Amino acid sequence: MSVLRVRAVPGGRSPGPALSASAGRTTAGWLLSLPALIAVGVLLIIPIGQAFYYSMTNWNGITSTWVGPSAYLQLFEDPTFQRVLINNGLLLLAMPVVIAIPLGIAFLLHEQIWGWKFFRSAVFLPTAISWVVIGLVAVRFYALHGILNGLLSDVGLGFIKTNMLGSTHQALAALAITLVWSQLGTNTIIFITGMAALDPTLAEAARVDGASTPRIYWRIILPQMTRFIQFAFIITVLTAFTAIFSLIFVMTGGGPDYGSTTLEFYVYQQAFSQSAFGTGALLGVLLFVLVAAISVVQVRVLRAKT
Amino acid sequence: MAAEVGLARDRVLAGAPRAGQDRASPARRKVRPVRIVMFAIMVAVAVVMLYPFVYMLVNSFKTQAQYELGHGFSLASWRLLFSGQPIIRELLNSVLVSGAAVAIIVVIATAAGFAFAKIRYRARGLVFVVVVACMFVPLPSIVIPEYINVSKFGVLNTYWGAILVYAALGIPFSIFLMTTYFRSVPDDLVEAAAIDGVSNLNMWWRLGVPLAKPAIFTVAVLQFIQIWNDLLVGLLFLQNPGDRTVTVGIALLQSGRVLSVPALMAGSVLSVIPPIIVYVLFQKHLVRGITMGMGK
Repeated sequence: MSVLRVRAVPGGRSPGPALSASAGRTTAGWLLSLPALIAVGVLLIIPIGQAFYYSMTNWNGITSTWVGPSAYLQLFEDPTFQRVLINNGLLLLAMPVVIAIPLGIAFLLHEQIWGWKFFRSAVFLPTAISWVVIGLVAVRFYALHGILNGLLSDVGLGFIKTNMLGSTHQALAALAITLVWSQLGTNTIIFITGMAALDPTLAEAARVDGASTPRIYWRIILPQMTRFIQFAFIITVLTAFTAIFSLIFVMTGGGPDYGSTTLEFYVYQQAFSQSAFGTGALLGVLLFVLVAAISVVQVRVLRAKT
Repeated sequence: MAAEVGLARDRVLAGAPRAGQDRASPARRKVRPVRIVMFAIMVAVAVVMLYPFVYMLVNSFKTQAQYELGHGFSLASWRLLFSGQPIIRELLNSVLVSGAAVAIIVVIATAAGFAFAKIRYRARGLVFVVVVACMFVPLPSIVIPEYINVSKFGVLNTYWGAILVYAALGIPFSIFLMTTYFRSVPDDLVEAAAIDGVSNLNMWWRLGVPLAKPAIFTVAVLQFIQIWNDLLVGLLFLQNPGDRTVTVGIALLQSGRVLSVPALMAGSVLSVIPPIIVYVLFQKHLVRGITMGMGK
């Protein structure tokens, strides 16, 4: 629905206010929207253009040479870059969990169990907290003598003792689990809002017919939630791909051995630790293309559904 | 549908019983054991969600030795934090940078939102699409050119550099929210003002801005939390130790050699207090900001 309105309304023939002189209207319209256009143009659109240009150069911060589009081909042959792409892909494995758990929590809260307002606030709280703070507590959670291993030995599983952040293969998993934890609130809120917006008559009719509550949720409410699940899915993927730089910075620094470096972190790592600004810009462009593709899919999907 | 979601959201926020909630009480009594299980599950979830906060707070009141031991109480780490880290300065930097950026975002977004929703002028559709589409530009994609430009203009390591970058990043989504909000304001109000001869600019300032107060709160709360919590922009654009924001200060403390975990926890506690206060006071607006993207 949102997307429909975004696309359809402005400039269209929607009945707008019959304001005075048209010249005055145009002046006022431009005066009010020009600051936004300038800010976005100078600080977002021009830099994207620059990034495209830089991406085809070999530039170490001091000297720059033109490479051309072959820079892209070279990058795809780089095993480290392939590793980074795989890491991005592996993060997607967390998506079913980050959808399913909030759906479950939302069901419980929707049933308005005792204290649901408190529980809602508790689940939603991490939304207000920085990745940095989340990450530095997570470091203590996964540490060799940390909370996780303490819990494991408490329940007699001390032999599993792991140092997740120190392992090339487990670091990304530790990161993903932290990501899931922090996104539970956002997705739960999306689902509660969605459930409250559903037409209750179907569920009521089923209840009158004697259907059990779990059955009603599974057969009637869940199918109607598709739109909200897709929205939550897209938002979470975009977060995982473009907004967890700080979490990686604090938890693993991208390591060990690029084991937890995603595309987003690789941009920073290449540009600001290795001074490979050209490669960094190229990675940024790839990330931009990826996000644009995901966003287009989102628009398509939402439009088809509504 | 949009209106339904909006209404539902307000119902959820108000904590009102939803439609069809008034089931006969016998039915409810029958499912009681199930509800106890449900309650137990939510308690477990709440423990998982709140544990990190408790952990932070409890461990900030220990010395490093007590932290390693697992028990004890001491204020030493708080003293260590204040003597070893310019934490007050960093908090003030965060207030300054996020406050200024939020102010710029609010002014620019209410102006553009009003124009896009309530003033019909040539090319507004195109301008709207261009501006709002920019909300999909990821920061990592533009951070290198941005860094180059900001240093060329001589504002690297000045508050202005960071403030402008934060403002630009927040503007597209904020305009989306403001436009959505202004569209829900009846046109009659604007038309009546127009008939009375109020100029368009006056209308924005005298009529639009006061009407948009709830949306302004939503935008401000959302952006404040986002900017306060950001690391990348602060890390690159405010590199002098005296100019650092608190989030950057804590991150660098963590990524360096951590001499005192409890002092780090104390710093973290301080750094999360402002966003938590904003969260507690304006939870409704935060929720609205997140769900507005889908409902309207």
